[in-house]
Parts: sequence; C-alpha cells; structure tokens
Amino acid sequence: MLKLHDLYKVYRTDDVETVALSGVNLEINQGDFIAVMGPSGCGKSTLLNIIGMLDSPSDGSYCFLDEDVAGYGEAQLSVIRKKNIGFIFQSFNLIDELTVAENIELALLYHDMPAAERTRRVKDVMDRIGIAHRAGHMPGQLSGGQQQRVAVARAIVGDQPLILADEPTGNLDSVHGQEVMDMLRTLHSEGTTIVMVTHSPAHADYAQRTVNLFDGYVVTENTRAA
Amino acid sequence: MFWNNIKIALRNLKKNKLYATINVVGLALGLALYVFASLLADYERTHDMFFRNADRIYTVGTSVLPEANLGIRDIDSAHTALAPLIKAEIADIQLVARSLRREYLVRVDQESFYERVRFVDPEFTEIFDFKFVSGDPSALQDPSSVIISEAFSQKYFGDSDPIGKVVTLDNKHDFHIAAVIEDVPLNSHFNSAILNASVLDIFISFQALSRISDYNPEGEWDNLSVNDLTYVQLPPQLDGDWLQAQATSLFDRHMPEAGKDVFSGFKVRPLKKANLVIWEMLGLPVMTIIKLLGLLVLIVACVNYTNLATAQALGRSREVGMRKTMGASQRQLLTQFLVESITITAIAMLVALAGLEVIIQLFNNATNKILTLSYMSTLPWLVMTTLIVGVSAGAYPAWLITRASPIDALRDVARKTKKGTRFRAVMIGVQFAISVFMLSVVAIMYVQNQKMEDASYVFPRSEIYTLQRLNVEGISERLDTLQTELKNIPGVENVAYSIWTPFDQSNSSTNVSTVPGDSSNKVSLHILRISPEFFDTYDIPLLSGSAPTREMANDMYSEESESINVVVNELALEQLSLGPAHEAINKRFYDLDEDDNLKEFVIKGVVPSQNIVGLHNDIHPFMFYYDPTNHWVASIRIRGNMLSTVASIEKVWKDVIPEYPMQGRFLDETFEEVFKIFRAMNMTLAGFAGLALILALIGLFGLAAFMAAQRTKEIGVRKVLGAGSMQIARLLVWQFTKPVLWALLVALPLAYFASAAYLTFFAERIGSSQAAVIMLGAGVFGVLFAWGTVAGHAIRIAQRNPIQALRYE
Ligand SMILES: Nc1ncnc2c1ncn2[C@@H]1O[C@H](COP(=O)(O)OP(=O)(O)OP(=O)(O)O)[C@@H](O)[C@H]1O
Ligand SMILES: [Mg+2]
Repeated sequence: MLKLHDLYKVYRTDDVETVALSGVNLEINQGDFIAVMGPSGCGKSTLLNIIGMLDSPSDGSYCFLDEDVAGYGEAQLSVIRKKNIGFIFQSFNLIDELTVAENIELALLYHDMPAAERTRRVKDVMDRIGIAHRAGHMPGQLSGGQQQRVAVARAIVGDQPLILADEPTGNLDSVHGQEVMDMLRTLHSEGTTIVMVTHSPAHADYAQRTVNLFDGYVVTENTRAA
Repeated sequence: MFWNNIKIALRNLKKNKLYATINVVGLALGLALYVFASLLADYERTHDMFFRNADRIYTVGTSVLPEANLGIRDIDSAHTALAPLIKAEIADIQLVARSLRREYLVRVDQESFYERVRFVDPEFTEIFDFKFVSGDPSALQDPSSVIISEAFSQKYFGDSDPIGKVVTLDNKHDFHIAAVIEDVPLNSHFNSAILNASVLDIFISFQALSRISDYNPEGEWDNLSVNDLTYVQLPPQLDGDWLQAQATSLFDRHMPEAGKDVFSGFKVRPLKKANLVIWEMLGLPVMTIIKLLGLLVLIVACVNYTNLATAQALGRSREVGMRKTMGASQRQLLTQFLVESITITAIAMLVALAGLEVIIQLFNNATNKILTLSYMSTLPWLVMTTLIVGVSAGAYPAWLITRASPIDALRDVARKTKKGTRFRAVMIGVQFAISVFMLSVVAIMYVQNQKMEDASYVFPRSEIYTLQRLNVEGISERLDTLQTELKNIPGVENVAYSIWTPFDQSNSSTNVSTVPGDSSNKVSLHILRISPEFFDTYDIPLLSGSAPTREMANDMYSEESESINVVVNELALEQLSLGPAHEAINKRFYDLDEDDNLKEFVIKGVVPSQNIVGLHNDIHPFMFYYDPTNHWVASIRIRGNMLSTVASIEKVWKDVIPEYPMQGRFLDETFEEVFKIFRAMNMTLAGFAGLALILALIGLFGLAAFMAAQRTKEIGVRKVLGAGSMQIARLLVWQFTKPVLWALLVALPLAYFASAAYLTFFAERIGSSQAAVIMLGAGVFGVLFAWGTVAGHAIRIAQRNPIQALRYE
C-alpha cells in the first residue's frame, strides 16, 4: 500500500537542528496491522504524521498507492488524505464547539456528500460504536473513554482504507484502552489497514507486526504469526 | 455547508459572550455612524430632485477674487442685471428667473407678521413645477397678485379659502391672493439652505418690487445679497459646462470695471447643490469630510474586529488542524471564517439599522430635515457594505489561521510562536493613530473657534439690544423721537443707529486715494454708516480726534455732500500712509468711484483696528461716518436688568411707532448665529472623534482581556514563582504601550498638517507652538485613556489568586 524509502525528517529551529527521522525504510501492505514502538522522542509521531501526510519529509521518497507524494503540496495532499486516511489521536482532538454527531460528521463534510447520506452514515457509526445516546452532547460533557470512542467513530466514518492511531490509548485507563483496542481489531478483521503508535507491549500484541524505532531509524521489525 | 458555517459562527458567538458583544457593539457603532454619515451627505447632496426638470436647472452665482478680502470664495447670487442679459444674448436659453428675497411686514386684516417675501420673474413657475392647490402659474403675470403656500394660508386664513383675499405689505401695498401651492418639501434649497433658509411661502411678481420699493433691478450691478438667486433652465441637449462658458463670456463683456475689482466671474451650479452653497462659499468641503470621517470610524471598528478575531482565531488553531486533517482545503476553511465574520457583521448591521431608526427620528426632529432610511433603494448598498466590511475585517485572521500546515495547526504553533502579534500591534497603532488624529484636529478647531468667539467680546455684546429694520417709510422719519424716548428709559445708557451691527456679515466698500483721481495707489476702504453715539455705545475708544457730532454740517452725510468728516481705524491710516494717529487729524483722502456727489473725506477721529466684520475675516481698513439716511438698526446699550428694560423699550416703541411691530433682538443672538455653524461643525467632529476613541478603547479592552486570558497559565506560574501584582500588571500593560506610542508619532504630524489647512481659513490664527501643545495634549489624553483601560484590567488579573490562574488551563 505504501512504501517509505530512506526517509529523513529534520526540524530546524533558530539554532538547533533536530533529526527526527534518519533514513527510515518501511513498507506497509494492504490489510496490515502495524504497531510502532520506541522510547519517547525517537520519532514515532513524526513518522505517523508523515505517513498521514500531515507533514512532509525533508528527504527521501514516499510512495502511496504507487504515487510518489514526497514533493506534493498541501492542496494535493489533502485530496489524497481525505480519500484514504482516517486519524485517531492521543489527545482526541475533538472540536469543543461541535456536538458528538457533528464532530463525526466533520470527517465527511469535505467529501462532496449529500447531507442525508452524511447523517445516515454518522448514525450507523454511532450505533456501531455505542455512543448514539450521546449524539447531541458536547465533547466536554463526555468522559475520556467516551471521547476516544467518538474519535474512533470519526476516523472510521469515512470508510478510508488506512487508519493511523497515535497512542490511541495513552490517555485512557486499562478498561477503556481495552475497548478501543477491540474496536481496532474488529476494523482490521474487516480489512482496514492500521498503523498504531503505542507504548504498551500488551496493546502491541494486537498487531501482526511491530516496528521498533530508535533515534530516528528502524531497529527491528518483528512479525508475529496470526 | 453554508448553513453549517453560519451555525458554527453563531455557536462561537454564544460561547464567547464578552468577545461577541464587543465585536457586535463595536461594528454596530461604526456601521451606524458610517451609514448615517453617508445618508446625511447624500440627503444634502440630492436636494430638489423632486422638481421635474431638476437636472436641467442651474443657479448662477459669482466668484470672489481673493484680493477682495471678503472672507468668502464665492456667493450664490448674481447681480440682477445678469438675467435679462442671458435672455437677450443667449438664444438657446428660454427660461431664466430671478428670485429676490426681502423682509416685509405682512398684514391680513388685523394680523401682521414679518415675512420673507420672494419677488420672482414669471418664468419662476415654469422652471419649478409647483403643485397648485388653486389658481395656476399665470398668477405671476399680474404684478398685483401673490402666490402663497398652504402653510401660509393656514397661518393667516385657517381653513377658509384665501383666493381673492388682500395681503398688505408694510401697511401700504395691497396684493390679492391669486393662487395657492402645496408646501415645498423640506429637502429643497428653498427650505433647508444652511445659510438664511426660509420657507417659500409667499411670492410676488418681480415687477412689483420696483413699484413698492426704490429698488431698480435694471442694470443693477452694485448690490449682491446672499440667497438672491438667478435660476436658468437649459434645454435637454445643453449642459452646465456650456452654461458656464456662456456665463464667463457675459462676465467679460458686461461686468463693470468696479465689479471686476472684486469678482472673478460667474459661477454655474446645478440646482441640487444650491443648499450646500455655504460650504463652497467658505471653501470647506463639509459633506465630503463628514463622509470621510464616517469611513474612518468604520475603519476603526473593522480594525477592532480584525484584532479580536485574530486573537480569538489563534485559540481555534486545533479546530483548524483537525478540519484540515479531515481533508478541508484552505479555501473551504477561509470560506468558513469569512462566513463567520460576515455573519457577525450582518448582526451588527441589523443592530445599527435598528439604532438608526431611532437616531434618524431624533435627528429629523432636532434639525427639521426629512432624512429617511429607505430600505428599498439602499438595500444593495447596505448588503455590499456588510459584505465588504465582513470580508475585509475577517480576511487577515482567516488567512493567518488557515495558512498553517495541518500538523502546525494541530500543535498550535501559531499561538506558541506569537504569530500575528506584530500585526495586532500595528492594528492597535492604526486605531490609535486615527483616534488621536481626530482628537487633536478637533481640539485645534475648538481652540481656534474659541479664539474667534473671544474676539467678539471686545464689543459689549451682552449689554446691547438691537432694533432691526428701521429703514422703512413710517419708521425712519420718527427715529429722532424714538432715540429721545428710549434714552429716557432708566436702564438705557445710550442709543446709536447704524446701517448694520458688528458681526452682521455685511460688507460695503469704496476705493479711495490720497491724491484725487489717482487710482495707482488706491485703497479699498470698508464703510460703516453710523450715528454719532456709535463709538460710545460700542466702547470703541478714540485714539485721537473726536466722533462726529449732530451740530457740525460737515459731520453729516446727505445726498448733496461733496466732503464729509470721517473716523478711520489705524489700519486705514497705515494703508493710506497717513502717519500715526495723532498726526492724522484733518488729513484728507478722495473717493475714486464716481457714483455719487461725495468726493472728499476729512479725518476727524482715529479708532483702533478691530475685527468688525467678525467671523474668520481679517481686520479690514475701515471708515465710519454719520449718515442719517441709512439708519437701519438701533443699538441700545443697557445697564442693569436686560429683560425689564426691554419691556420698557417695547412700550416706547408702541407709543412712537404703533403701526409696526417691534423687531428686537439681543446682539448676542446675532453673534451666536455666526458661531453656531462653527460650533455645530465642532460638535459633529467631536462626536466622530469621541466615537472613534471609544471604539479604539473598547477594542483595546477586548484584546487585553483576551490576551490576559491566554496568558492565564503563564501569569499563574510567574506568581507561583514570586512575581508581584505590579510586575504582572506592568507585563500586561507594556505590550500595548508601544503601538500606542507609535500611533502618536504618526498621527500628530498628520493632525498638524490637517489642522494647518483648517487654520488657513482664519485670518487670526492660534500660533503654531500653541497648536503643537494642544495636539500633544490630545495625544497624551488618548494614551492615558489607553493605559487606563488596559491597566484597570491588568491589575484585576494580576491580583487573582495564582491557583485560580493555574487551574484555568
Ligand atoms: N515541531 C518540531 N520542531 C522541532 N523539533 C521537533 C518538532 N516535533 C518533534 N521534534 C523533535 O523530533 C523528535 C521526534 O519527535 P516525535 O514527536 O516524533 O517523538 P515521539 O517518538 O512521538 O515521542 P513521544 O513518545 O514522546 O510522543 C524529538 O526529538 C522532538 O524533539
Ligand atoms: Mg508522540
């Protein structure tokens, strides 16, 4: 599905240069469930953001569905992104001014989809995730676990083939963390490709493959038999 | 998508109530003022458009040479000799009409009032399509008939039919009413000219004027009174430029040499400008200034919005990042933010319009205008204004916030790196520059006007009561008796007659020279015809010599006089090079104009140079002489209780001149009339400036509140680490001080030039160092207010419990 070759990401601030990624090679296939692990500051989020086209690499090539997107501008990236990628963040990133339903609908808003179709899809997803009774609430009125469920709903409502999750369970207790992992597993079983950053070896076990990063490059890749 | 955007906009408003209120109130104030200023300017500029031929009607006025030193650039009237020339010499023009306005005592049966009567050529009713209630335009063909308005009819006849009834002017001249017209709407120059407006309610054939007075309009090139208009209606194919060319050529060929010393040409104006002519005469483009000020205030209001929205938008960086992550393009997000600002502007516009409904009502009641806000015709303009304001106010914050890459937006980089801070500082600077600019110009204008007003107190203006219109048969023969009787009243100190009083805005002058017939060094001397008591009555000291007396034959002017004793002011002496005051007595100078017998003037007394014409004029060289044939006004100097003395004066008048009602007024009122225009101008400007400053302060307050809220955590941490309240407050205040100081630096020089332009209008100006001090004062005033606003808030924030501050995030 996507292929990173010799990928670099360098942050330049006034006087220091931080090399967040240095020569990452990685290939992800359709239907993979990949866990990215490594110590804090090793570049996991950076990697995920580049895969998600929220950020651009400094050097190297990035092929997404056989298209080299490394040099694309924001306008082109946003078109590919909205078609193919759903996001889940550690800090939920829900919009405080919108209701639960509207937050989920946000993921469809920029897709040229008739309003009735959007409403239907949002309703389906909320039923599936079990937050339909909270549809009219504001994010501030929900618990952390519920908020993350809304975030998951938002990531999957667009039916994108790839889901990127940056520490989706980082802000949750173990029970709620478990819930989110179960949802991801269901999604994977339905054919969605998932890349997830986590610090928890237990959660990494849900994945077929674990990529270990250290100081900006891939150290090991372990594949587990399913 | 569109409704979605509006929904979000409204929700955002609800969430940040303080911010929303400030934005809506600020924009509403700015919009209301701007719309009002535009409406007013348009109203004033589109007078008389209800006349069928309005766009083909022109007035011909006269331009004044600057050297003539009359204090005006032009005058709306032309000599009465002009109209017949236009008709005789320009074949294409069929319709020319003069309108001369004179005051008469109008009597119907036992009721009489002083009225302003217009004497008009028959074409007057062809040019203006008045609506006739009864009778028809041909009424003017008969020089013994009058046309009246419905209001006039109501006043004198109530509900009974006025046609055929007799109207008597000055107790002597009978006219019969031949037609009644509907009242002319208020938005006509007949009613609302700022200078000397008077409703058009009685008019008479022009021929009647020479019959009932000694005025002979034929070949009359001497008299020119404001509001005596000459109207021309052009055929459809010809325009104002063409008429101007014709008028110029007539001026060159027919204006007498004496006139060419004072006037530079005729000036053609479209009818719709007739009511604004005073501003052109004075050379002050007031309507343009009003519109411009409205725009400036609107800009201040927009800047408010931009600033607050920028600050607030940065708080929404995460939202933008999220939307981008979901695939929103920058264009879509820009639209979202712009829809938001347009929504707020639209709400503000609605508030402004609601306010305007009330304001316009009050304004109309106070000013006798009929300003209306007609939504039908102004809707496109209102919508455009809303869109333009909404887009221009919201453009910068929208661009700033949607420009970041998704990841930067999610990380809220913009806020952390203080993006937009400089922009906000510049915007605060712009606001304060505009406010301080307006404040200091207003302050200068105020002080200058005050100076002009103070100058008028050389004369004992509050102790003088004047009686007007004494130059009428039936009054003028009894002036000696009147004077004697008035002097017998205990409170009356002195009674003087003159042709006009100081500050009356009249002018008459003649060219003189120290060598008879030598026009190579002629001096134009202004003349004031008086009675001997004038100098005592007005406290004008004689520097040498003495005032004219009633006893000496040569002291008194008569039609046969060839030589007369005069009093001159020092400036006249200087211009005639006649040496110092004590050496001037008995020196002579000579009249160069050959219009009467008078040839020689002998100096009998010298007075100091004072500003007698008043207003913004120079001090002119003057001569005074005793002329009993021209006693138009009595000035009565009163000591003690004004009101009871005036009652006694009235009693005396009734005894001596029972046929005419007394027309008395305090000299103060004459002076006030002159100053009230300037005062109104000043008030208007002060209103604009005040509003601009208030808006700027509201904006500053909102921004300060916002910034402080954003820095709550920082403030908390600083306090935990030991910072004192004062240190925190200083931190918060300082960020706003720099832009405000910059604003001063830009605004003050601009204000200096702007007020210099205003000051050139006055002969006696405040000094430039005084002007500088005044402007600095205004600047400091602005800065103090800014500091007060921010500091008040900062101190409250700084005194909060640090834990409260930390818990906030
Ligand atoms: N915007 C930025 N500017 C400068 N340096 C950055 C920026 N973002 C990340 N970095 C640096 O890049 C490196 C990788 O950061 P990244 O956020 O990818 O780490 P991470 O592996 O996700 O860590 P964590 O587990 O703590 O989330 C770090 O050293 C960080 O300091
Ligand atoms: Mg991370």
